[in-house]
Amino acid sequence: MTTQPTVEDLKVIAEQVWSSYLDVDGTSPLLPVAADKKVIDVTASVSVTGAWRGHVLVSCSEAAGKYVGAALLGIEFDDVAEEDVADALGELANIIGGNVKSLLPEPCALSLPHVHIDGSSGRYPAVTEVCHLDGTWRDESVTVTVLESTTDLAGAKA
Amino acid sequence: MTLTTQEFAFISGLVRRDAAIVLEAGKEYLVEARLLPLARQSGLPTVSEFVNRAQQRPEPDMHRKIVDALTTNETSFFRDGEPFKQLVETVLPDLLARRASTRQIKVWSAASSSGQEPYTLAMVLNDNLPAGWGFDIVGTDISTEMLTRAEAGQYTQLEVNRGLPAQLLVKHFERNGAHWKIASGLRNKVSFRRINLAAPFPPMGPFDIVFIRNVLIYFDVQTKRTVLQRVAGTLRPDGWLFLGSAETTIGIDDRFERVVAGRTSAYKLRTASKAAAPVSALGKG
Amino acid sequence: MLTMVIDDSRAMRLILKRIVAQLGFDVVEAGNGQEAMDYLKTNVLDGEGEIPGLALVDWNMPEMNGLEFVTAVRAEPRLRGMTLMMVTTESEQNQIVRALASGAHEYVIKPFTPDAIIDKLALLGLVPNGVAA
Repeated sequence: MTTQPTVEDLKVIAEQVWSSYLDVDGTSPLLPVAADKKVIDVTASVSVTGAWRGHVLVSCSEAAGKYVGAALLGIEFDDVAEEDVADALGELANIIGGNVKSLLPEPCALSLPHVHIDGSSGRYPAVTEVCHLDGTWRDESVTVTVLESTTDLAGAKA
Repeated sequence: MTLTTQEFAFISGLVRRDAAIVLEAGKEYLVEARLLPLARQSGLPTVSEFVNRAQQRPEPDMHRKIVDALTTNETSFFRDGEPFKQLVETVLPDLLARRASTRQIKVWSAASSSGQEPYTLAMVLNDNLPAGWGFDIVGTDISTEMLTRAEAGQYTQLEVNRGLPAQLLVKHFERNGAHWKIASGLRNKVSFRRINLAAPFPPMGPFDIVFIRNVLIYFDVQTKRTVLQRVAGTLRPDGWLFLGSAETTIGIDDRFERVVAGRTSAYKLRTASKAAAPVSALGKG
Repeated sequence: MLTMVIDDSRAMRLILKRIVAQLGFDVVEAGNGQEAMDYLKTNVLDGEGEIPGLALVDWNMPEMNGLEFVTAVRAEPRLRGMTLMMVTTESEQNQIVRALASGAHEYVIKPFTPDAIIDKLALLGLVPNGVAA
């Protein structure tokens, strides 16, 4: 099966990640609806190389990043430092990216996560978006995006 | 936010009538937890409002969905471990000797929910029966939704993470998108049908092994007795019965005797010479 | 029992540490396979330290990844007492087959619930009596 991942796939993956680590008691799930204000303060991404090439991004507001840090590190929201957000969000991107990778043609490899706390987008030239999931978690915006590279290894347009 | 006495009474009356399930006072939390997803699907914010609609203006199928939601058992592969270990160490050696002429094993997994138990039984039998032996497994449940899920034989990553040895995952399942699907060779050995344990069974069996785990606890004593009596009618005279780890037939039905198997118990029908209760139709060799 | 938790993510090490700590295990952390091997060499092979009974091993890590670590441990007869459970996002069928063939005893796919880890430890006979999932 070489069909591309869809937003439905992202919903299934997100639901499993949230119920395992971020919404253990089921009271604060990731709602698959766009937040009132889509905010991107921090983005963690992993790159996929091999039979398929592209990136999986997890972007969210600063507050959501701190909620992730607090949940994964088991600390209070106010005690979450920037490096905690980077580590926690990076692992989230790793887990979500790994699950997306398993839907792609084989063999592929996953990079280590990279985290950007500057809110900038457009950091990925020569890509097309495959799908994205706009979500709301604890009233904050969280987005998962799958980007496919449009150039082949030699740099020519595909 | 919590259910009123009347609302709880309506729901417990409904499941008692339809499925002989007993929900005593104190189980309101269970009703709320199980019905909340249904309430949300109907666009209602609280379980109370959902129950009111079920009483006054029920949508088609609403009662059945309520009963299904309350009778669904949480299940997982190799749940509790030991019974399946004993299946290999105690039961199969016994049946291999007794069924040497037919070399067929028939198994019933009652209240099979989303199917993990029947598929676990299929894996165990497939991997431990000698060449030339066959088996088939029937999974039954009262919930059509669960039966549909079980028929699909497809599980999420979270579900296959639980209790299933990795060796068996790669041996007996194939990835299907984000899910894992039981291999067709094994899938063909399992069939599913809808049965309400509280009602007379259609003709079934005779079975060599019956697993009826963690469902009798929901019935009152009289219903437990009736269910065990019906189960006994489907079991071969030397067949094996497994209950949930906290359950027993003792004090409920004398026709079974407990057999220690490793760190768990199994049950067999008392033979005629040891019968403490009147021997009913056991002649079905 | 001493447990090694080997993952380049501090968050994931903390999650795993919390799970095994509730079983009463002591934990040693490492951020990659090389750090973990260095620990074993210094403390267990060349020293008098306790051999870990269990290692929870991520796959994708810098310096030495989890598969390489598993292979290295299984090549060392004196580390035979270590049970190796991979805990990773790699979830393709043949990745799991590769890990098991390299000598991993068990495999958990991320995301996982604490029960998933504890159930697998019970299957391996590593859960102390009386502690259930």
